[in-house]
Amino acid sequence: MQAVATKLIDVTETNAEKIARQWFADVRKNPKTPSYHTLAEDRAIPQAVDFYTKFRAVFAAKSPFEEARRVYAKYADESYRIGIPLHEAIYALTLMRRHIWLYAEFQALFISAVEQQQAVESLNRTILLFDYATYVISDRYQELMKGEVDKQLMALRALGMEESFTGSKVGIMTCLLVACGFLTYYYHAVMASGVIFTHLFYIPIVLAGIWWKKKGIYISVLLGVILIVSHLLFMKGVPLTDDLIRAIMFVVVSSVVALLAEGFSKIEVLYRASPQAGSPVET
Amino acid sequence: MKGYATKLIEVTEKHADRIASQWLGDVRVNPKTPSYHTFSDEKALSHAVAFYRNFRSLFITDKPFDAAQKFFTKYADERYSEGIPLHEAVYALILMRRHIWLFAEFQTLFVSTVEHQQAAESLTRTLLLFDYATYVIAERYEALMKRETEERFRRDGKPGPSRQTVAAGGHGKQVR
Repeated sequence: MQAVATKLIDVTETNAEKIARQWFADVRKNPKTPSYHTLAEDRAIPQAVDFYTKFRAVFAAKSPFEEARRVYAKYADESYRIGIPLHEAIYALTLMRRHIWLYAEFQALFISAVEQQQAVESLNRTILLFDYATYVISDRYQELMKGEVDKQLMALRALGMEESFTGSKVGIMTCLLVACGFLTYYYHAVMASGVIFTHLFYIPIVLAGIWWKKKGIYISVLLGVILIVSHLLFMKGVPLTDDLIRAIMFVVVSSVVALLAEGFSKIEVLYRASPQAGSPVET
Repeated sequence: MKGYATKLIEVTEKHADRIASQWLGDVRVNPKTPSYHTFSDEKALSHAVAFYRNFRSLFITDKPFDAAQKFFTKYADERYSEGIPLHEAVYALILMRRHIWLFAEFQTLFVSTVEHQQAAESLTRTLLLFDYATYVIAERYEALMKRETEERFRRDGKPGPSRQTVAAGGHGKQVR
């Protein structure tokens, strides 16, 4: 294999930059690769040069699939990172292969009968590698798509403390409610003032909405009741209107957060159940 | 085009069932196509036979991309609705192509120097066809996955249409 392929590999390696530029000119205007039309030259060409210079290693490898997996998984990673859709990434690779052969034909590498035979053998080997490449890239893209969704959902899950025990959520909430109760007592009974301390109430309200969704609204109701009862007990001469509005706002904010949190949960469920190309069919 | 390709096309059409059986034997044990290991023989064979029987129309057409788009969109829809992952659907197709050539080699179709030249040209044409096929299938799978996800969102997470329905909703149409 190595003997017949030497000519093709040598030409590809020696002229890697030149072939890469011809490939780039092609993907730049090919209607099947629109994502490359606006891709900067210094991002696309090195990818192709890298591919052509590694051609020998993949072509001559004793375990071509293993070598192809190593090289083309990297290609998939890079293409995915720069936002190339899977079908375009595969087609761009197909064009890379075609440009090897266009260049070889242009250089009239395979003329005689023996060379024609070599051409067929080289072509067969090249096809094998690209078959593996297509397999590896489509497999890898699916992994990357799934990984990206997982990563995006991780932040939301961390805030929702979904990995934590229910007990720790209850503990944190109890501490926050006690602190809110103490603040209310201190400001109403000691300071005789209704200044902005109620802003701090939004911390347990928002967390309760994220953690327990609609059930979290009970926390806002409880805080509203604490505020109003405290007002009635300790600030009899002051109109109730401000604290009443605050209590209503607790419930409004809590409801909005609960709705948003439910929406996020649904999105997560839908993403988990969304069709990865590698997933089994629904039953 | 028609001249040199006739031999390959004729052999493929004539022995469609036999080549399809050989292909089935391969995907059944190939570690890259695990979904086919438990797939029904009848269904899998019908994929391959349909492909081999349509090989002439795909091979000889003046507009190979359009013909490939029509045929392989349907192929993608069917494989998607059967739950075959993209990389396996593509690899199974690659194996279909290989089995044409394995059969041709086994039949010693291309022996003389002129025939070698014909083999190289037939190979190039077949390759072009499969390049288009891979492109069409990958694009179609992406569109079907997107459509299925959108359907689920529209239904607010409730059980949505099956993959069969999603795929059947766009036979031969461009989703995006």
